[in-house]
Amino acid sequence: MINYKDMKGITNIPLLFLLLVLTACSKDWLKPKPLSFYAPENVYINEEGFEALVVTMSKDIKQEHYNGRSLMVNEYAMSDMAVPGALANAVVKDFPQVLTPAGDGGTHDYPGKLFTHAYNSIRSANVLISRIDEVQWDLEETRNHLLASAYFYRAYWYYRLVNSYGDVPFIGEEITGPKLDFYTHSRWAILDKIQADLEWAVQWLPVSAQPGATTKGAGNHLLAKISLANLDFDKAITAATNVIEGPYALMTARFGQDAGNSGYNVIWDLFRPANINNSANTETIFSVIDRVEDPDGAREVGSFLPQAYNPAWWHAKVRDHSGGAGMVDVGEQYETYKRGNANARLTPYYLYEIWDYQHDLRRSDANWVEWNELLYNNPSSPDFGKPVDRLNFATPADTFQHSFSFPHYKTYYPGQHTAGGNGDIYIFRLAGTYLIRAEAYFWKNELDQAAMDLNRVRERAGALPITANDVTIDFIFDERARELATEEPRHGELIRVSFIMARQNMNGYNLENFSQNNWFFDRVMAKNLFFQINFSWGQQSYRIAPHNALWPIPETVISENTLGIINQNKGYSGTERNVPPLEIIE
Amino acid sequence: MIQTNPNTVDYYFHNPDDLPSGISKEEWLNYNNNPNADITKEWLNRLLFFPAEVENYIAGTGVNWYDEVIQKGLRQNYDISLSGGSERAKYYWSLGYTDNEGIIVGDEFSTIRSRLNLDAEITDWLTVGVNTQFANRDESAVAANVEQMLISSPFGSMYNEDGTLKWFPNDYQGGQNPLINHKYQDRLSTTNSLFGVIYSELKLPFGINYRLSYQPRLSFTKDHNFWDSRTINGGRTHINGYGTREDSQMYEWMVDNLIKWNRKIGLHHFDVTLLYNIEKFRNWSSFQSGEDFSPNQNLSFHGLQFSANDVIRNDDNESTGDALMARLNYTLLDKYLLTASLRRDGYSAFGQKNPRATFPALAFAWKIDEEQFFSSNLINNLKLRLSWGINGNREIGRYAALASLSQNLYSNGSQVLVGVFNSSLANPNLVWEKTKAYNVGLDLGILHNRINVTLDAYQMTTLDLLMQRNLPSITGFDNITTNLGELENRGIELGIATENINKERFQWRSNLVFSLNRNKIKRLFGDFEEVEIDGEIVRREVSDISNQWFIGQPIDRVWDYEITGVWQESEAEEAKLYGLSPGDYKAVDVNGDKVYSTLVDKQFIGWRQPRYRIGLRNDFTFLRNFSASIFIRADLGHIGSIDEFKHNDTELYDRRGMRAVPYWTAANPSNKYGSLTASAAPYSGGYNLYFPRSFVRIQDFSVSYKLPAKIIQKGNLTNTRIFGAVRNLYSFDQWEDWDPESGGSPMPRIYSFGLDVTF
Repeated sequence: MINYKDMKGITNIPLLFLLLVLTACSKDWLKPKPLSFYAPENVYINEEGFEALVVTMSKDIKQEHYNGRSLMVNEYAMSDMAVPGALANAVVKDFPQVLTPAGDGGTHDYPGKLFTHAYNSIRSANVLISRIDEVQWDLEETRNHLLASAYFYRAYWYYRLVNSYGDVPFIGEEITGPKLDFYTHSRWAILDKIQADLEWAVQWLPVSAQPGATTKGAGNHLLAKISLANLDFDKAITAATNVIEGPYALMTARFGQDAGNSGYNVIWDLFRPANINNSANTETIFSVIDRVEDPDGAREVGSFLPQAYNPAWWHAKVRDHSGGAGMVDVGEQYETYKRGNANARLTPYYLYEIWDYQHDLRRSDANWVEWNELLYNNPSSPDFGKPVDRLNFATPADTFQHSFSFPHYKTYYPGQHTAGGNGDIYIFRLAGTYLIRAEAYFWKNELDQAAMDLNRVRERAGALPITANDVTIDFIFDERARELATEEPRHGELIRVSFIMARQNMNGYNLENFSQNNWFFDRVMAKNLFFQINFSWGQQSYRIAPHNALWPIPETVISENTLGIINQNKGYSGTERNVPPLEIIE
Repeated sequence: MIQTNPNTVDYYFHNPDDLPSGISKEEWLNYNNNPNADITKEWLNRLLFFPAEVENYIAGTGVNWYDEVIQKGLRQNYDISLSGGSERAKYYWSLGYTDNEGIIVGDEFSTIRSRLNLDAEITDWLTVGVNTQFANRDESAVAANVEQMLISSPFGSMYNEDGTLKWFPNDYQGGQNPLINHKYQDRLSTTNSLFGVIYSELKLPFGINYRLSYQPRLSFTKDHNFWDSRTINGGRTHINGYGTREDSQMYEWMVDNLIKWNRKIGLHHFDVTLLYNIEKFRNWSSFQSGEDFSPNQNLSFHGLQFSANDVIRNDDNESTGDALMARLNYTLLDKYLLTASLRRDGYSAFGQKNPRATFPALAFAWKIDEEQFFSSNLINNLKLRLSWGINGNREIGRYAALASLSQNLYSNGSQVLVGVFNSSLANPNLVWEKTKAYNVGLDLGILHNRINVTLDAYQMTTLDLLMQRNLPSITGFDNITTNLGELENRGIELGIATENINKERFQWRSNLVFSLNRNKIKRLFGDFEEVEIDGEIVRREVSDISNQWFIGQPIDRVWDYEITGVWQESEAEEAKLYGLSPGDYKAVDVNGDKVYSTLVDKQFIGWRQPRYRIGLRNDFTFLRNFSASIFIRADLGHIGSIDEFKHNDTELYDRRGMRAVPYWTAANPSNKYGSLTASAAPYSGGYNLYFPRSFVRIQDFSVSYKLPAKIIQKGNLTNTRIFGAVRNLYSFDQWEDWDPESGGSPMPRIYSFGLDVTF
C-alpha cells in the first residue's frame, strides 16, 4: 500500500515539469542557430572577412586553366592559332552549323562556359563592393585596398566577357533575392565603367604581394588592356609604362630550376612551373598557384596543358610499318609528353610559318618537340625506338590529331596526372605589357616607339630587331603568337582589335555590320589552314562564319530572365526581342 | 551540313570473313595505306579496338559483365516477440533480425531490432510507462557498379597479370571495372538508434486526464571507408590510399503535455484534447579524410593520422519547434459528429519573421443510417463526412531562411589560404506552407456490409508552397528556397470492398481502390507581363520557365519538344533546313520557321505523375486452412524521359559498351531510335525523349497454410502458419529502361517462404 505522504512528492514532479516547459514559450525558442557555417552577418564585419572573399576571387582566376577544355583553351580553339582537334562528334568543328545559343554539342561549351564562370566571380566582387561601407574602418587604406582588389577582379571578368560576347548585362551590386529583370549594357559603357573603377583602384593596390594576389602592376597591366580596348591609347601607354617602370624586368639570364643545365635556355627556364613564382623571376606580374603539396581543396587535378596542346601521339592510330600500334600509353616518353589530345590543335601558321628558325629561342630545338622526334615506344613493336614515320599512318589525315610538332616548353608539366601535373601558370607577365604598349603606340601611329617595344621582347628571345616599317597590326599579332601562345585569351584579343577597327571605320569595317564583316573573321580565314580548306575530321568539317566572332549568349540566360530582355548576338537565333543596349551605368 | 569522312569507303569496317561477293580480301586490306599483315588484326584496328580487346577477341576470352554484377540475393527475416503481464503491469518485448541481399553483387543490408514496452499502474490515478526501440543497422556492404557494367566491353580483361582487378578492363580510361570498390574498398557503416517514449498519466478530478511524455530519439552513425592503392580512388584520384571517417550523432527530443477530458452528458458526448508540445533537434557530424599513407596502408581507416594530407569538416545542426493545439470531438445522439480543432505551430527554420502559423480544422459526420427516416434493407451503413481544414508543411532545410557562405581553399605557394563565398541567398520572408482542404466523403455498407464503399472527393488549395526556385545563372546562384504562390489539387478516391463468396469451405473477398488527382498552378510569384495573343494585348502572370512551372498547368506537366521520329534519307533536304541530317531526331515545328526555339516550339506533351492509380486485391480462403491473396496495381497515363537513346554523349561509342539498340543507320532506317551521332545543337534548350511509363503490375501473390488446431495443440502452440509469396510477379508496360516505377534502377522479383508460430 503506497503511503499518501510519498505520493505528494510524486505529484509535484509532473506539475513542476509543466511549469518549466511552459516558460520556453517565447520567440527566442524558435531562433535559428547556425553552428557550422558562416552567415554574411557574422563574417563581413572586418578585414579578415573581406580578405576571405578576395581569396575566393583570386582562386576564380584559376578557371582560365586547369581543365582539358578550359576558358583559355577555348580562346585558342576558335582563333587563327588553333581549332578544336578531338575526333568525337560532340566536339564542335562546324561553327556556323553547330554553335547555337543552346550550346555547341559538347564540353567546349562556347556559349555557357565563360558566361557562367565570369558572372560567378563577379557575384563575389559585388558582395564586397556592396558591403564594404557597412563597416567602420580604422584605416582608410584597408578599406581602399579591399575595394581596389574587388574592382580589379570584377574588371578582369567584364573585360573577358565584352571581348567574347560584345554587349552583356552589367551587374554592379550584390544580388540579395530573385532578380529576373536584367538588361543588356553596351560594351563601350562597360569598358568606360571598368576603366574608371580600375583607374581609382590602381592607386590602392600594393606594389608587391604574395603570389596569386593582385598588385599595382597587375592592376596597371589590366588597365592598359582595358584602355586600349576603349580606344584610350594615351591612358594605355601611361598604364603600361607604370608597369614597365615598376619592380619588373624581362628575364634574360638563366635562373631557377634547370639553370645549371646548358642544354636549355632562358625561355625554357621562364616556363618551368616551379620557376613562375621563383623569387628570381622578375617578369611575373600575376599568376595562379597550383602546387602538388597543397591540400585536396586547394590544388587542382592537373594542369591539362599537355592534354590541350600536345598531339595524341600515344594513340593506336600511330602505326608502325607492320600496321600495328606503334605507341603505348606507359613509360618514360608518356610521362614526359603526357596524354596529348589536341583539344586545341595548333595551326601550321603558329607551328611552322611565323618563325625565323635560326634566330628565335621561342622556337629553338631545345624548347620544341618536332613530330619526328617522337619515337615508337611500344616494346612489342618491330619499330621500337625508331622515330615516327608518317607513311605508316592508315591515312595522312590521321596526322591531324596524332602527329605534329608542339611547344614542349610551354606544356611540360611533369607530375602524376596523365593530362599534365600540377603547377603554377602565368596570367600576366612583363613581355605582354611591352606588347600592349607597342600596340597602343601603333594605333597612335608612333611606329618608332612601337618597334622599340617589340624589339625588347624580340631581343630577349634572340630574335632579330625590326624597324618601324615592319610594324603592322598583323605583325604585332604574329609577335603575340610567338611570345604569348597558350597564355593570352587569343580570341578575345582578336575581337578587341576588331572592335577598335570597326569603331574607327578602318579597313572597311564598321560597328553596324560587325556580325557580317569583321577583322577577326578575315584574319582567321587568312591564317588558319583548317578553316581555309574546310578540313574534315570525324563527322564534321572545320568551318567558321563572320557572325561567330562573337559567341551567342546562352539561351537559358535569356529565357530565364522573364522580366527583362537580354539581347542575343546577331547571326544567332533569338534576336527578335532585342532592344537597344543601355548606355549608362550608374 | 555535317559530312561523312570522305576518306572511308563502303565496307571499310566490315568483317573481312563476311565480305559481299565482288570484294576480295586483298582489295579490302588495301583500303588502308599500311595494313596489318594479320587480316583479323587489321579489321580490329579499323574498329579502333584497344590492344587488350584485340588479344581477348583473338583468344576467344572476355568477360560477361552481367553475370559478374547481377546475382540472385537471399533475404532473411526472423522475429520473436512476447507479451504479458499482470493487472497492474504489462510488458511487451520483441527481437528481430533481418539480412537482405540485393540483386546486385555486394548489395547487402542487415539489422537487429528490439522493442521493449512497459506499462505500470502505480496507483489508481497514476500510470507510468516506457516504450523503447533499439536498432542496429549495418550497411557496410559495397555494391558493384551497375552503370559501369553497362559500359564495360565484353572483350575486356577482369584481372591484371598480378591477379589484381584491372582498373580499365579494355584499357579505355572512361570504362572502369564495376567490381573494384566492391572487392577492395574497406567499409564500416553502422547506425545505432534508440527511440523512446517515457510517459506518465494522471487521472485528475472531473474526468480530466493529463499525460506528460518525453520522447527522445538518439542515433549514432559511423561511416568509415578506406580505398587502398588497388582501387582507382586510392591509387589514382588520391595516391597511396585514401581514407575517410564520418561520425555523427543525432539527439532529438519532444515533450508533450496532453490534457484530455471525456464526458457524456445526456445525449451529448464531449471529448476535449489540449496539447502543448516543444521539440528540439541537434546533430553533430565530424568528417575526416586522409590520403597518401606511409609507410604502408595496412592500418586502413583506423590510422588516418598516418596520412599526408588531411581534411577536417564539421557539420552541426540545430532546430527547434513548438505547437499548441486544442480539439473538441462532439457527438449528438450518436448520429451527428463534430470535430473542431485549432493548432498553432512554430519552427525555427522559417527565420525570425514568420516562424509560426495557425491551422484550424472542422469536420462533420452524419450517420444517416441511424436516422428515423432512413430505412433500407439494402443499405445497412450510410455515413456522410464533410471536412474543412488547413494543415501545414515545414519540409525545408533547417537553415533555409539564412544566407550561407561556403569555403574555398587556395594557396599562395607557402601557405594555405581560406576563402569564403556566398553560396545561398537569405529568404527572411519564408512562411509555413498551408494547405486548405475541403473533403466530402461517403461510407456505404450494402447488404450487411457485404459490399463496403468508401468515396472521398477533395479539393485542396496549397498556398505558399515551399520550393527550390531556380535562379537565372547570371546571378551566380543556383536556387533559393521560397514560397510559391498557389497550387490547387482536386481528386477522388474510391474504395470498394466486397465479400464475393462466403461459404464454409471457400471465401473470396475483393478490395478495389481507385484514385485520381489533378493539380494546377494558380499563381506563382506575382510577376506579370503583357503579351500579344491573337492580336490582343493580354496581361498575365509570368510562368517560370527554368523550373517548368506554368500558370494553369500541373506541377508535373511536361513541356518539351514533341519528338515525332527520326529524319530519314528521303527527308534530307528538309532536315538540312533545320541544321540536321538523316539520323537526327525530328520534332514538331509549331510555327514552321525551320528553327527549334524554346519559347515557340516546346509544347505540353504529357505528365510525369500517373493520371490514375488503381489497386485490386483478391483474398481467398479455401479448404479451411489455406488462404491466398493476389494484389494487382496500375499507375496509368504518365510519361518519363530516358537519356540513353539521345546518343549525343561526348564519348565515342567505339570504346565502351552500350545498350543493344537498333539505332538508325542508312541500312537500318529506324524511326524510333536516332543515330549514334544524333545532333542536339539546333534544339535550343535541349530536347528529351519520352516514353510511356504506365504499368500494370502483379505486385503480390501469396499463399499460406494454417496448421489445423488439432495438430498444433500437442506442441502448446496456438497458431502456426506457413506461407509463400512472390513480390513483383510480372509487370505489363512499355517502358524501355529498367523499371517504370523506379525509372532507372532494376526492380527485383522476390520469392519468399516463411513460418509464423505463436505460443
